[in-house]
Amino acid sequence: MAKKFLQRLGLKDKLLAIIVPLLVLTAWQGAVSQKLCSELILTPPLTLLKTLLELAQSGDLTLNILASLKRVMIGFLFGGTSGFVVGILMALSPFLNRIFGPLIKALQQVPEFAWMPLIIMFLGIDEFAKYFFVAIGAFYPMVLNTYQGVSGVPEKYHELARVFEYKSFRYLFKVIIPSALPSIITGIRLSLGLSWMFVVGAELFGSDSGVGYLMTWGRSVFQIDLVMAGLILVGVIGFAMNFLLERAEKQFFLWREPVEGRHA
Amino acid sequence: MSDNKGTLEIRNLSKSFIVDNNPLQILNNISLSVSSGAFVTIVGSSGCGKTTLLRIMLGLENHYTGEALIDGKQIIGPGTDRGIVFQDHRLLPWLTVGENVAFGLDKLKQKEKKFLVDEHLKLVGLNGFESAYPYQLSGGMAQRVAIARALANKPEILLLDEPLGALDALTRMYMQQELERLWLLEKITMIMVTHDIDEAIYLSDKVVIMSSRPGVIKKIIDVQLSRPRDRASSDFMRIKAEILQEFHLGTEYPFAYAI
Repeated sequence: MAKKFLQRLGLKDKLLAIIVPLLVLTAWQGAVSQKLCSELILTPPLTLLKTLLELAQSGDLTLNILASLKRVMIGFLFGGTSGFVVGILMALSPFLNRIFGPLIKALQQVPEFAWMPLIIMFLGIDEFAKYFFVAIGAFYPMVLNTYQGVSGVPEKYHELARVFEYKSFRYLFKVIIPSALPSIITGIRLSLGLSWMFVVGAELFGSDSGVGYLMTWGRSVFQIDLVMAGLILVGVIGFAMNFLLERAEKQFFLWREPVEGRHA
Repeated sequence: MSDNKGTLEIRNLSKSFIVDNNPLQILNNISLSVSSGAFVTIVGSSGCGKTTLLRIMLGLENHYTGEALIDGKQIIGPGTDRGIVFQDHRLLPWLTVGENVAFGLDKLKQKEKKFLVDEHLKLVGLNGFESAYPYQLSGGMAQRVAIARALANKPEILLLDEPLGALDALTRMYMQQELERLWLLEKITMIMVTHDIDEAIYLSDKVVIMSSRPGVIKKIIDVQLSRPRDRASSDFMRIKAEILQEFHLGTEYPFAYAI
């Protein structure tokens, strides 16, 4: 009984998740077509769809998305990997933790975009500067989550590793990292999410390609539909990346007890 | 092990921890000798240092005075000559049953590994479960896997730290039979810590009784009953009464007559 009810509730939730945005879009479209609001200020959804289709046809869409994704991947690989390594080192060495811990906590208080002037001064606005900016965004979630995961490896697993004489890299790769993996994967997901936000930010500051560039260009030629289409792209791509990673996470953790059967 | 391997000798061993800057004596002048292939149980109330003593044998605790020798050699850290089964099964949740059993066999070739895993899963009656994950097992099954993992390394001595303590009463008695069967089959030394007196009498050649603060060996009782043992026999009960006496739990008038 209760299970059936929950299933129905789940279905209802899913329907609501589709219906509510549809209602908003319809109201939006209606508001413009009823002349409640100028089309120049609030581009209606159907026009936005047309703009996106035109961008796709001309090839601009793919080109700019790929340009942004390339920056995300390079920045994320660079920042995420260093965050991963620093996180592990900090968790395993109290000495390194004492050195890097306060520094990272202090730097974390600096808003990400406050780095921009400094980066532009030293690195200019070319590709490398963008990679660097994205890398900073990717670094923090990775270092924090890796640190948390590795320092949270239960003592009983450390003991088991000692009993079975696991040392150095074997110990790291067979016991510590697998045990910390749930936390590390969360780090990857957050890190990639922030990378995507920061690549758009970096492109807004000065760029000749990318989704952020599409929006600044739209603004400079006063094409609001381009700006809004860019916004939609940012949202949809970010959502898709998160969705795919969540799916991958589930596949990956088959060994985790399913939630229904979890005992306290 | 026929060639007298798996002997343990502990001589005048004392250990203390520092608590609030004061030394707290955990073990005081422990001497114990376990011969090759024996089943020895250490019983005592919680806090008597029996687990610490087992951890010393395992090589996880250092800094003690006195001697702890295995086959005449000082124990320095853990080693593959000793296997351990903890109270919690301590299987790694991200590994399958088969991979857990193979955990200590990392250095072997794939083929030898598979052979040993199959052999030991069959030994504990879990063949066919190698690709299951630990969360899918019951407590008794998980502990069997833990035993298979410890035995797969072919240790000379198997140390058991209250291995059946977390199981329900019936499963526990069944697992005691299983342990006895494995012990008779493998012919290795087994040293078990428990607080279950019936379990100790059912399984051991020797029951070591410890008392607490500081942990000392109060008495060592030889159990010379034939196997398999009858938990309800009068001899069994007599030994049980003798052990209970040591814990001041014996009845003063063992027979009560109702008139």
